[in-house]
Amino acid sequence: MNEYLRTPIREIISRFPQVGSLLEAHGIGCVPCSLGTCPLGDIVDIHGLAPEVELALMTAIGAIVAPGEAVVLSARPAASSPKKGFSPPMKTLVDEHRLILRLIALVPAVTASLDVHAEDDRQLVVAIVAFIRNYADRFHHAKEEDLLFARFDRESDILQVMYEDHANGRACVKAAVDALERRDPAGVTDNLIAYTEILKQHIRKEDEILYPWMDRKLSTRQVGELFSAFRKIDSAFSEEAGRYEAFVRSLEDKFASNDAEVA
Amino acid sequence: MSGCGCPGSKTMTFEKAEQTETGGAKTSSPSQLRQWPVQLHLVSPVAPYFQGADVLLAADCTAFALGDFHSEWLAGKSLAIACPKLDANQDVYEGKLKSLFEDARINTLTVLIMQVPCCRGLLGMAARALKESGRKVPVRAVVVGLQGDIIQDEWLEG
Repeated sequence: MNEYLRTPIREIISRFPQVGSLLEAHGIGCVPCSLGTCPLGDIVDIHGLAPEVELALMTAIGAIVAPGEAVVLSARPAASSPKKGFSPPMKTLVDEHRLILRLIALVPAVTASLDVHAEDDRQLVVAIVAFIRNYADRFHHAKEEDLLFARFDRESDILQVMYEDHANGRACVKAAVDALERRDPAGVTDNLIAYTEILKQHIRKEDEILYPWMDRKLSTRQVGELFSAFRKIDSAFSEEAGRYEAFVRSLEDKFASNDAEVA
Repeated sequence: MSGCGCPGSKTMTFEKAEQTETGGAKTSSPSQLRQWPVQLHLVSPVAPYFQGADVLLAADCTAFALGDFHSEWLAGKSLAIACPKLDANQDVYEGKLKSLFEDARINTLTVLIMQVPCCRGLLGMAARALKESGRKVPVRAVVVGLQGDIIQDEWLEG
């Protein structure tokens, strides 16, 4: 059983599909993960299950992957206290996710009526790309990669998945920009939609799994340091952030009213 | 008298397994206190040990309720203690807390209180000082049960 704790989850699920169903029943959604490189042991650890639930889950997995072998869970320090909610720096990142999600929710409507030969439509795509590159990537992902992830093992499988998501997202955006230059409507649409799919999954993984786990691991000292470092960035970017929030609002007004007209 | 008196003063006994007194000769758990004084009336927010520090504001009783007060809660932090029920001249406290945020530029404030209602006053004081402060700092609110268990642990909005 121990060797399976260090085995990438995709390998385990492909050999033992029932393990995927068991994980899903415990709210651990690894089955659709595009990479699946995280080891089984890390995945179960990161979800912070109650000890008795974790033992029951690992026993059930053990019965599938290594029947007859005893399951011994490694001793972990018990959580010192029942912490509720996100710490202030983590909450900042979660709030930024909300604005990013509001923008990507509009992408299908924008691309549905896109005319790549019309200057206004091309400018709209350029503005959406600017939001993604400046707000989502330079402002938000930079906080994550340079400050938050830097306090953890950057080489860990979990963080590698996050870096990979960021890189895949950037590649989709670049491909959409290239397609716009070629006046290729399908290329713009497909790549922007692919970006939204990556980001939706990515944000879900962060809000529901990664950030709660990181919050459990961060010391009080680190929470204060991150809060103060984030505030410095927020204050330098505040004017731009305000403009991007107004941009999302204006898009919502425009495309919500279009929907209403259609209805 | 019926049993609806002040829960902060209600008499209770907690049954524990028999412990032998060690006589106090041996210190097996080193103190994590790294400053003096500690009482909120006596400390100065400009004291060097508060500058940029992670500060623990502990209600007096918490140190006795928590078995791991030093190792888990005080370690790595500077300390101020107070009793929001019995201390006099508490109007000074809010100003001192505001000064910890603004002048000492503390990194974080952890407010450790007991579950009894009167203890909430200390958390209220910290929340008001934070609201009044021009500088925002993460404030962690921890409520300790009468038998040393952690009942609530959450971060306040900055």
